[in-house]
Amino acid sequence: MVTLALVRDTFREALTRKIFWVLFGLSTLMILFFLFLLKIDIVAGATATVSLFGRPTRGSPDVNRMVRGVYGGIATFLYTFGMFLAVFASAGLVPSVLEPGRIELLLSKPLSRAHLLLGRFLGNILLVSLNSIYLVLGVWTILGAKTGIWSPVFLIAIATTTFIFAVLLSVVVLIGVTLESAAAATMITVALMIISPILAQTNLMMRLLSSEWSRNLWRALYYTFPKVYELGKMTLDAIQSGTFAGFTPIWTSALFGILMLGAALWIFQRRDF
Amino acid sequence: MRVDSEYAIETQDLTKIYHARWSGGEVRAIDGVSLRVPKGTIFGLLGPNGAGKTTFVKTLLSAVRQTHGSALIFGRDASDPEARRPIGYLPENHRFPTYFTGAGMLDFYASLSGVSASRRKKLIPEHLELVGLSQWGAMRIGKYSKGMLQRLGLAQALIHSPSMLILDEPTDGVDPVGRREIRELLVRCESQGVTIFVNSHLLAEIETLCREIAILHKGKVALTGKMHDLTAGKGYRLTVTKPSDALTEELRAKATSMAARDGLIDFQFPSRELVNTAVDLLRAQQCEIESLAPTTSTLEEVFVRTVEKK
Ligand SMILES: Nc1ncnc2c1ncn2[C@@H]1O[C@H](COP(=O)(O)OP(=O)(O)OP(=O)(O)O)[C@@H](O)[C@H]1O
Ligand SMILES: [Mg+2]
Repeated sequence: MVTLALVRDTFREALTRKIFWVLFGLSTLMILFFLFLLKIDIVAGATATVSLFGRPTRGSPDVNRMVRGVYGGIATFLYTFGMFLAVFASAGLVPSVLEPGRIELLLSKPLSRAHLLLGRFLGNILLVSLNSIYLVLGVWTILGAKTGIWSPVFLIAIATTTFIFAVLLSVVVLIGVTLESAAAATMITVALMIISPILAQTNLMMRLLSSEWSRNLWRALYYTFPKVYELGKMTLDAIQSGTFAGFTPIWTSALFGILMLGAALWIFQRRDF
Repeated sequence: MRVDSEYAIETQDLTKIYHARWSGGEVRAIDGVSLRVPKGTIFGLLGPNGAGKTTFVKTLLSAVRQTHGSALIFGRDASDPEARRPIGYLPENHRFPTYFTGAGMLDFYASLSGVSASRRKKLIPEHLELVGLSQWGAMRIGKYSKGMLQRLGLAQALIHSPSMLILDEPTDGVDPVGRREIRELLVRCESQGVTIFVNSHLLAEIETLCREIAILHKGKVALTGKMHDLTAGKGYRLTVTKPSDALTEELRAKATSMAARDGLIDFQFPSRELVNTAVDLLRAQQCEIESLAPTTSTLEEVFVRTVEKK
């Protein structure tokens, strides 16, 4: 019951922030786009005429490929811009709880500090995953109904976006409890997102870097930081080809997230307010 | 662990040292505070600004970790979250999130205190009524005035029927009528057996409200005692070298209070006749009179005397 109250409180506070509404608004726009503007008439099996804005597109595209393309686009949106908005919107949710005058009262309640912080963490993840579920499930249902293609592999985007968001949120929480700054939390987390595709070029760098220690340093960085880019790419590959390869990016990212969250809890336990 | 203690609060040598992050300097916000607050009383903690009152309270609630010493709440170690269940707390300079409505705020904090949903439904309107905010329950607290926030904060502290209230400057920002209402509310709580621990600067208010007080000065307990002993009121204080036991007993019967300190005894007499009789008796036995002075002891005088002495 206490957890539920903490989650609800996180929702209530998050929804006072406009960025969450922007995120939900964009998702809604996309769903409406596929609902009303994309008209697909299946003629025979794989070929069909597709009309966009009421006008038929030239040629007869392969419906299967087109649907996968759309799924890929949605996943990419969720993964990049959506993730950025979600991080940006969530960055203030921990520092705001720690404000003098607010935290004392929360700490005076009969719950542990870990419970308090994890309740916030959970609420935040739930809110962002609800957006993923809404968008992915919405588009999936609409395209499924219009084309008859019900490929469940698209739903994997819900799991991967939620997972990576949880990993990034652990950094947001750690910076929140140490620096109490939403701006710092956003900057550092976005930096992690941006360096991820660079660090992912391991094969190339192994050839370019001259010394052994610099190669080891690169590997260490690569294995330490969350693999935002690679998980995104794995999601796209899964959608396009139906295969999901390699679990190293998942567990190394999970480990990173657990360590960050653990550090955040440890520091939060010991602070004076 | 003694869970059934006769004290609501019991601290032993409680100390908090804050370290300045860069300069390396340290502040002893509270320094070896040993205090006992009996159950069911209204206890006032006084002290000048920066004396450590808020730090003391925050240590009790584990918002601040003590450097050393111990604190028990109803016999339970204060660091145990369960020790906080019987407490209703109103912080100093509180800032409730402005996205709440009055009723929503009570709902949230009551649920954290473990009040069930059905109980909350019943208790929220009752408590809004209790602090005179019935009409404002649906309004966002961002639009509340300072006094309204204070009342709401008090309702929040009361809603889970705590056995102890810890109030840091409870009447801050409240108008005189509201203050009286709050005082009456607290007295009613006391009559229901609730222990009340108040931090305040408003001495007149503490004087009418509290049964016992402690004065904190520079992090240390400078004085503790029962209110009626400390503020004996108008009369005369006679300080003498210790008379014979028989005479001491006789004088004690006439005096309103008596206190012994290093070889001297203070008697407080309510009238001029009584103090003159006492002088006659003492001089008949060759006792030395150290001093005789009229007193109009109010809490303010006690406070100033205690704080200036140091
Ligand atoms: N977080 C902190 N870091 C460092 N010093 C602190 C901190 N909190 C309080 N202090 C210091 O501890 C001392 C006691 O402060 P405290 O707030 O407990 O006083 P107070 O008696 O409540 O004062 P007031 O009557 O003004 O409310 C002060 O010197 C204050 O500067
Ligand atoms: Mg204070």
